Amino acid sequence: MFYRETGQFKTSYAEDMALFPVIQDRIGIGVILIVAFVAIPLLANDFFIASIMIPFLIFALATVGLNILTGYCGQLSLGTGAFMGVGAYACYKLTTIFPEVNIIVMVLLSGFFAAGIGVVFGLPSLRIKGFYLAVATLAAQFFLEWCFIRIRWLYNYNDSGAIETVDHTAFGLVLAGPSAEPLTRYFIVLVIVIAMTWVASNLLRGRFGRQWMMIRDMDIAAELIGVRPLQAKLLAFAVSSFYCGVAGAMMVFFWLGAAEPAAFNINLSFQILFMVILGGLGSIAGCFMGAAFIWILPLIIRTAPLLFGVEISAALVEHIAFMVTGALIIFILIVEPHGLARIWQIIRQKLRVWPFPY
Amino acid sequence: MSVAEVLEKPAAEVPAAKPEKRKILLSVEHVSLSFGGVKAIQDISFDIEKGEIRAIIGPNGAGKTSMLNVINGFYHPQQGKITFEGKNRDKMRPYIAASQGIARTFQNVALFKGMTTLDNIMSGRTLKMRSSFFWHLFHAGAARSEELKNREFVEHIIDFLEIEHIRKTPVGRLAYGLQKRVELGRALAMEPELLLLDEPMAGMNLEEKEDMSRFILDVRQEFGTTIALIEHDMGVVMDLSDRVVVLDYGKKIADGVPEEVQKNQDVIDAYLGVPH
Repeated sequence: MFYRETGQFKTSYAEDMALFPVIQDRIGIGVILIVAFVAIPLLANDFFIASIMIPFLIFALATVGLNILTGYCGQLSLGTGAFMGVGAYACYKLTTIFPEVNIIVMVLLSGFFAAGIGVVFGLPSLRIKGFYLAVATLAAQFFLEWCFIRIRWLYNYNDSGAIETVDHTAFGLVLAGPSAEPLTRYFIVLVIVIAMTWVASNLLRGRFGRQWMMIRDMDIAAELIGVRPLQAKLLAFAVSSFYCGVAGAMMVFFWLGAAEPAAFNINLSFQILFMVILGGLGSIAGCFMGAAFIWILPLIIRTAPLLFGVEISAALVEHIAFMVTGALIIFILIVEPHGLARIWQIIRQKLRVWPFPY
Repeated sequence: MSVAEVLEKPAAEVPAAKPEKRKILLSVEHVSLSFGGVKAIQDISFDIEKGEIRAIIGPNGAGKTSMLNVINGFYHPQQGKITFEGKNRDKMRPYIAASQGIARTFQNVALFKGMTTLDNIMSGRTLKMRSSFFWHLFHAGAARSEELKNREFVEHIIDFLEIEHIRKTPVGRLAYGLQKRVELGRALAMEPELLLLDEPMAGMNLEEKEDMSRFILDVRQEFGTTIALIEHDMGVVMDLSDRVVVLDYGKKIADGVPEEVQKNQDVIDAYLGVPH
C-alpha cells in the first residue's frame, strides 16, 4: 500500500535507467544513509562501532567484490581470502616505504596490487569453468598464503611474522593505528564502502556489467555477439580483486590493527563466499544482507542469553551461536535458494499489491 | 538508413529491398568439416546474395547447424574457402565474425536467462559501444550518453517486435515463443549484414509461426538484411525463401528456387527415404 509506484511516470530513458527509479526506494536508501551517518555515531557505543559495524562494512565490501566475480560474471573463486591478504600486505609495505602518504590513499592503492595478482590467477578461467576453476583459485589461496609466511620481506623481517599498524595521522586526526578513535575509523570505512558500492553498481548497469552477465548466462552466445571472453573475465577478476584487496587492507588498518597470515586463510574465503550465496548471487543489496546475516547474527545470538538474564558458559554460547546460524543458513537456502535478496524482492512484490494477493 | 528513420516513415514510402543486381554477400566454396571420423560437412559450395532470404534445409543430422557454425567462425573447416563481402576469411574467432556483421539465433534458445528482455537486446549492442571504463565507473559522460543512445535504438527494436510488455521481465520466465522473438531482437540489435536463423520456428504453434514469418519478411524489407535460415517447416521455407539449398549427410544435394527444389528427386528421396 505504501510501497506502490503507481503514478510515478518516467518521461525519459535516463529516468528509467536511474539506480533507484522508484521514489520509495530513494526514501529507503536515504533513511539507511541517515542511520549510518547520524544515528549510529550518535547512539552506538564504541564496542558496537568497532566490533560490529566496521567489520560488517568491510565484509560487505569484500562480498561485493566476490559477487562481481561469482554472481555477475559466473566465475567461482575460492581465493578471496588470499586476495584480501594481498591488499593488506601491499598496504603494509606501501605504508612502510612511504610513511608520510595519507593512509586512505594507500588503502585504495593497495587494491591495484590485489587486482594485478587477481588477473594472473584469473588467466586459467579462459579454459576451465565452474568447480574446476574453484580448484584453480584454491591454488592461488594456498600459494599466496605460503608467500605471506615465507617471504619475510613482506612483513619487514619482524620476528612475530605478523603485520601491525602504527598510528597514521592526517588532517590533524589519527586515522588508523592503535590510538585511532573507532568513530573516525568507522566514518572512513563507511565512506569508502558506500563510494565503492556506488561505483560497482554503476559498472554493473553499463556495458561492462552486461558483458559479465552475458558470460555468466551463456558464454557461447556472448562470444558470438562480440564479447571477448578473456578480456571480460580478466576485467571481472581485476575489479573483484581490487574490491577484495581494499577490503583486506581496511581489515588490517581500520579494524584489527594487526594480522597474521592465518587471518587470510581459506576460512575467510569461505566466509565471504557464504555471504555471497546467502545474500544472493548477482545482487548488490544482497551483499550487505549476507554480510549482516553471517557477521551480526552470531553476535546477537551470543548476547541474547545475557539480555534475558540467563547464565550460561561462554563456550556453550559460542556453540549455540554456531548451531543456530548453521541451521538458519540451511533453512534460508531451502526456502529460497536465491538468497536474502530474492526474499526481499518477494516481500517488495507483495507490498506493491497489498492488501490484494496479486 | 537507421532504424529510427525507417520506422518513422509511413509504410508506403519504405523502398522495397529488391535485389536489382546479383551481388554475392557470402560465398562458401568446397568447405569440408569433420570431427575425427565423422564428416559433418563434405565439399559444400553455395552462395548467399545480398538482400535475399536463403533457406538451408535437410533431414536431421544433415550438417545444417554445423554449416552455420562454420559461417560465423565457431567451427573452423579443414578445407575450403569462405568469402564474406568480398574478403576471404581464414580462421577467425566468433567475435570477429560478429564485428564484420554476422548475427545469429540458436536452435535451442541461447538467451541470457538471468537478464531482462531489455538487457538481452542491449547486449546485442555490445560492439556498438566504445565508451571508456573510466566513465562507466561513474555512469556519467560518454558512458551515460552512449547507454541512452543505444537504449533508444533498442526501444525501436522492442516496438518493432511488439514485445513492449515484457521489457523488464527476466527472459528465463518468458514463454518459448517470446524467447525466440527476444533472441531475434538481440540479433537485430547488432545491425547485421547477414542474419543467420537456426530454426526460428521450432516448437511454435501456427499463430507464433505466422508472427515470426511476418517479422522475418519485415526485417528484410525494412532493414535490407540478408537472411539465411534453417527450418524444418516446409510450408514456411517454400513461402519465405528466395532460394533453397538442401543438405543430406553433409553433402549438398540440391540448390535453387523453392519450386525446383520441391521437384528434385534427390530431395524427395532424402526426406521420404528410398528402398534399398
